Amino acid sequence: MMIDRRLFQEIDWVLLGLVLLQALIGVFFIYSSSHFLAGGYHVRQLVWIGASLVALVLVLVIDYKFFVSLAVYFYGLTAVLLAVTLVFARFIAGTKSWLTFGLMQFQPSEMAKIVMILLFARLFADYKRPYLTPQHTWLALLLSGIPLGLIILQPDLGTAMTFLAIIGGGFILAGLKKKTIIVLLLAALVLGVGGWNFALKSYQKNRITTLLNPLHDPRGSGYQVNQSKIAIGSGGLAGKGFMKGSQSQLRFLPARHTDFIFSVIGEEAGFLGVLTVIGLYFLMLARMFSAVGKARDRAGVYIVFTASVLIAFQFLVNILMIIGLFPVVGITLPFLSYGGSSLLTSFVACGLILNVRMRRFANV
Amino acid sequence: MVERIYEDLSLVRRRAAAVFRVIAVLVVLALVYYWKVQILEHKKYWGLAEANRTRMRVLAAPRGLIRDRNRWILADNRAAFKVSLVRENVRDPEASYSAIGRLLGVDAGVLRARVEAYKSVQLFEPVVIADGLGADDVAPIESRRLEFPELVVEAEPQRYYPGGSLAAHVLGYLQERTPEEIRAEPARVLRLGEMVGKTGVEREYDRVLRGQDGSVYEVVDSLGRVRGETARESPVQGGDVELTLDSRLQALAEELLDGREGVIIALDPRSGDVLALASYPTFDPNRFITRFTPTEWTELMSDPLSPLENRAIRGLYAPGSIFKLVMAMGGLDFGYVSPGTSVYCSGSMEIYGAVKHCWFEPGHGAMNLADAIKNSCNIYFYQLGRRLGIDLIAHAADRFGLGKPTGLDLAGEKEGLVPSTDWKSKTLKAPWYPGETISVAIGQGQLQVTPMQVALLTAAIAMRGAPSRPHFLKAGPPQPAAGRPGGRDASEFKKSTFENIIAGMWGSVNDGGTGNGAFVAGLDICGKTGSTQTMSRESAERLARAGREIKTHSWFSGFAPRVDPRLVVTVLVEYGGGGGATAAPLAGKIFSLFKAIEGL
Repeated sequence: MMIDRRLFQEIDWVLLGLVLLQALIGVFFIYSSSHFLAGGYHVRQLVWIGASLVALVLVLVIDYKFFVSLAVYFYGLTAVLLAVTLVFARFIAGTKSWLTFGLMQFQPSEMAKIVMILLFARLFADYKRPYLTPQHTWLALLLSGIPLGLIILQPDLGTAMTFLAIIGGGFILAGLKKKTIIVLLLAALVLGVGGWNFALKSYQKNRITTLLNPLHDPRGSGYQVNQSKIAIGSGGLAGKGFMKGSQSQLRFLPARHTDFIFSVIGEEAGFLGVLTVIGLYFLMLARMFSAVGKARDRAGVYIVFTASVLIAFQFLVNILMIIGLFPVVGITLPFLSYGGSSLLTSFVACGLILNVRMRRFANV
Repeated sequence: MVERIYEDLSLVRRRAAAVFRVIAVLVVLALVYYWKVQILEHKKYWGLAEANRTRMRVLAAPRGLIRDRNRWILADNRAAFKVSLVRENVRDPEASYSAIGRLLGVDAGVLRARVEAYKSVQLFEPVVIADGLGADDVAPIESRRLEFPELVVEAEPQRYYPGGSLAAHVLGYLQERTPEEIRAEPARVLRLGEMVGKTGVEREYDRVLRGQDGSVYEVVDSLGRVRGETARESPVQGGDVELTLDSRLQALAEELLDGREGVIIALDPRSGDVLALASYPTFDPNRFITRFTPTEWTELMSDPLSPLENRAIRGLYAPGSIFKLVMAMGGLDFGYVSPGTSVYCSGSMEIYGAVKHCWFEPGHGAMNLADAIKNSCNIYFYQLGRRLGIDLIAHAADRFGLGKPTGLDLAGEKEGLVPSTDWKSKTLKAPWYPGETISVAIGQGQLQVTPMQVALLTAAIAMRGAPSRPHFLKAGPPQPAAGRPGGRDASEFKKSTFENIIAGMWGSVNDGGTGNGAFVAGLDICGKTGSTQTMSRESAERLARAGREIKTHSWFSGFAPRVDPRLVVTVLVEYGGGGGATAAPLAGKIFSLFKAIEGL
């Protein structure tokens, strides 16, 4: 047994409770938005929550230092898998992001997020300078650029953006000088303009132009945002009631149980529901970030911080995206949206945070 | 390891805390925006959500029934289905047209043309692409609803005329409103694909018959599938219209005409009730019930015999010898002849430098007015015409309403023409020649009347000057519309004048006159025949000598009984030959059925 009673007492039960509460709220609204479909999504989500909880426990029992020590090997494996995915995967919903092993399907890009968290922890574990040196900047850019590039090629804009958030979080923590920031922004601009003109698919461009004017194509990409905004706005203060939202029950709302689950909450539970869920989420995020102060070493700080940024970024992008303040990029709401790999990643990230926090006094 | 515990992590922790503060601010800003959308703009989005899920669908009101005077149904409704296409829900038009074409058994090109005709109309408006379908026809469509989200199947009460072509020209027919008509109607009283009365009673009383469309507000999902309804307003069937027609007389009239172009009108001179109006060739209005019979439609439209035309009110004919009644009325009433004035008919006479013949070449001998009417002697009326002059003739004709619409409650009546010096100088810018008066005197020349005008003339004589306006609505004639003259002024003639004319008409049918063919034992029928030359007598004779048979239009118009008349019958058979030989026996059959019905 690698986990003793003292460690067990150090588990942040409040955070774990908040995570499970979010997941259960998610199950309720997944049921509301998909009970009329075959497939039993709410049951499957419950199964996924159970499986993710097991994964979380597995992550918890092993000291994070062990994961950090293996980060480079994980990294190599992930890069290979991403490359393999690009070559062998079939297109699902326009992207090549799923690998199939018999009955098992998984997204190496989800795994890459966790691996990137560990890799940054490994990279900066002993980095004591206040700011990044150019050499370290280049090294970090190169190491993160390879999986990022492979994900962009799939093309999976949402995951790529989440990935960028992890990289950005790592860089912020390591310390960026103004000069470096300017250079990076210029590079991003060049890459952005170049990407817009040469690399982005037209559907992706559509999604971005839709953000600027959601009504220009109400049947196309603007449709989702319009319907989502109508759902949220029509919910009012107290909502239309559980399983009574016309937008979700009559299927006007696309991707109701996945990316747009929060629109269902907005419609059926109203502003009060939105306030409650966002409030609980904020408490959860606060709890996650508070673990930064509890980490016993630099690697732990990096793990807790980038993992928290991973969750916080997806949360923010999702709640802004469904109300039309951000392009529809296919980012789920961690813990609430339906979907096994998203849940698994979020729970594992949470497990890493708990892991770091409960081992704050450990001397291994 | 001790060193590690005291490792200074304050810098990275400060950075992490700063990032968390940024996240906190963003969360608060997001909440503010949710507040704006959910609380401040709630009404707007609530309305959008309602509009999203509710669709208004029109429930077509069945048209009112049309019945005859005995309440027999002439126009009914039956249940049918129609299929419409909602262009909004079409993803790939070409694929959709060919798939639907196969489903409905329609050519994809026809379908495309049909839908594209409605380009100007809003995309969510359903375009009817098939109608008149039975339950068996729509079953395969219903079973494949999910494959065709663009199709809407609705029940629709459909017009049905149980008598087929019976009284077709009176009932008229329905046609679909054109997209242009719908666009021109800003109030949107009409809906797409609505059938409206185009002719006949269906048109005249369309507002009564149409009824009030209902509506249903349905909850639909994003694929347009109906999930329930929130409000329903049932359609109100249109009002019934009871006509003055008697189906038995109508059926007989149509049977009598079968195969020869012509008109039979039967009306009650006392009330103006039209009991029968038959015009041949005819058509079956059931064939226009469907919106899709382009070939049959064009066939009917281009038929040289124009079966769609109601000859009773739209056919213009010279009245021929029937006009001699007007001549006699004028001559007597204006004092140009007396009942006893005698004219000798030798079979021909020279008038204005030309030799004119009587139709009876041996000559009728000495004729008084009643005899001249009875025998329809041309010579007598040539003489009378010369004495009266064209303007007095026109004046008499005008009192009987010739050359003017009768005010019948059926749209499209033609006026006809009664020539006069005034008319000729105005329209032809030429003086009137006395020779022309001679043709008019026997009902030829430029004179043109409709059979309905002749029926009204006969009714005026029968009623001794005071006929009622002819009409089809049993409740009585509707208020005269603007531009439709109502009352007649035949009552300005002296009563005694009528009796003299009627004596001649009685003789024509009952005393071996030209109208003998209409004789019905036990019924005092008074009538007058007419044979209208379709060309001048001289050229007709020339052709006859060449061995070619020239047939004249055949007229008979009369009433019965002589005292307290109850029925006027007017018959016109195109190219029927002599009025006495062809038209009069047909009228006799109508009189005889009337006698049987009324038990006279």
